[in-house]
Amino acid sequence: MTTMGTPPVLEMRDVSMCFDERPLFEGFNLRLDRDEILGLTGPSGSGKSTVLRIAVDLVSPTTGTVLCHGVPVTEYDPRELRRRMILVPQRASMFSGTVRDNLLWGLRVHGLSATEDELVGALDNVFLGREFLDKVAGNLSGGEMQRVAIARGLLLKPDALLLDEPTSALDHEATLVVEDTIRAVLEERHIGVLIVTHNREQARRFTSRVVELNNNNRKDSEDSSSMGVSQ
Amino acid sequence: MQSDIVGIIDQIVQWFGSLDPEILDAVPRYLAALVLLAVLIAISRWQGLGVGKRLIVGTVRGTAQILLMAVILVTIFALRDLVVIFIVLAFMALFAAHTTSENLDHIPGVFRVSLPAILIASQCVMAVAVVLGVVVPIGEYIIPMGGMVIGNCMTLSSLVIDRMWSNAQKQRPLLETALALGASPAQATRLTIIESIKAGLLPNLNRYASLGIVSIPGLMSGMIIGGANPVRAALFQVIVFIMIFLAVTITGFIVSRLFLSEMFNERMQLTVPPPT
Repeated sequence: MTTMGTPPVLEMRDVSMCFDERPLFEGFNLRLDRDEILGLTGPSGSGKSTVLRIAVDLVSPTTGTVLCHGVPVTEYDPRELRRRMILVPQRASMFSGTVRDNLLWGLRVHGLSATEDELVGALDNVFLGREFLDKVAGNLSGGEMQRVAIARGLLLKPDALLLDEPTSALDHEATLVVEDTIRAVLEERHIGVLIVTHNREQARRFTSRVVELNNNNRKDSEDSSSMGVSQ
Repeated sequence: MQSDIVGIIDQIVQWFGSLDPEILDAVPRYLAALVLLAVLIAISRWQGLGVGKRLIVGTVRGTAQILLMAVILVTIFALRDLVVIFIVLAFMALFAAHTTSENLDHIPGVFRVSLPAILIASQCVMAVAVVLGVVVPIGEYIIPMGGMVIGNCMTLSSLVIDRMWSNAQKQRPLLETALALGASPAQATRLTIIESIKAGLLPNLNRYASLGIVSIPGLMSGMIIGGANPVRAALFQVIVFIMIFLAVTITGFIVSRLFLSEMFNERMQLTVPPPT
């Protein structure tokens, strides 16, 4: 759902990325609003993860403009930008220590803290119980780590979650739990969610719109017809 | 002709006789040690170790280098000038930074970050030690103790830079997770830096704990050989350890902070390439 007159949380205009002078993708456009789950699909190696990293300015695009709330990301303090848009990588990395340590990690780098109730609430958002707080983060399953990573990001009260294949390593049951988690978060927080998936079925089932990044666009910079919003 | 040769020999004998008795005492000992070297070379040839030539070249070159240094030190000591002494320490720091950068030639910016770190840490610690009267303010004390401090700063500098670089390559996902949560480069690398400094302190902490039981460290050995009272030598050994710990810690914090600018750009993006 697009909020009329309000700049999107994230917008990419005519973004291109080259590695070693070889184009990865060219002329890419994307718009992510609050209260929507936008899917980003495409074959392996098409640059989907790179799109997310460009969005939070972990890498700079070769050409093009990236905007957050209508302001170029290069005009943000990188720390503030990355608090507003939380990137959860494909394999969620946990810092050493407990789940509690991990949940507090992101807050501490911004000079913030959270009460016990807020930590429990963040875990509840991702369908994890209070007992997880004192578990060693490194011992969690892949799905649990993924959900802790989402909770860790949510504590920063972001405007958008950028999820890189959050269910790629999970079985069907765990996938549905993570999807339910994300839907619940969306309803409660009214944020935008951009989710990378190579699973078209998941994209149809779970997202409200899909943007496709495909190999043709890598090879032929003039063919940008399939790069736009497809639904 | 014959009288010329006799004259030259006479001059050499006279020059030799004019040398310090301590030097006259050391020369025959040095020559006797060459017998040990000959034995070593013989073993090398017999067992085919293939290090005979390197031993000979190394001995000749090493003797020339260290004698040159000794002559320079004698001159510097005679000047009794603290400014000159601290300039010598600065040159030693310069060479230490150069050595660090040669050892880590696959990493960019090593000289640029290790020079100020080693220089500031060693000069500050030695200056404070002199001002507080911890170190006798003469070259005979400041230069050898400063050399030990600088050597340890060099080792720590190499360790911190190497760890920060290799961790950025091996633990790239974790580092980018930290950045993606809004951490600054300093926050994202804090643990690596702390671990590197601790690792750099560890060998000396072990030697510190086993002082006088497992080994007699270099400074104390040198002072005892030089004729100092062993109790005085022992106290100076502890002093130099404290100076090393302080200088090494300062070096670690400065070098790690400066090296962040080689690992990240102004947009707080990791610029370390993935491992090849």
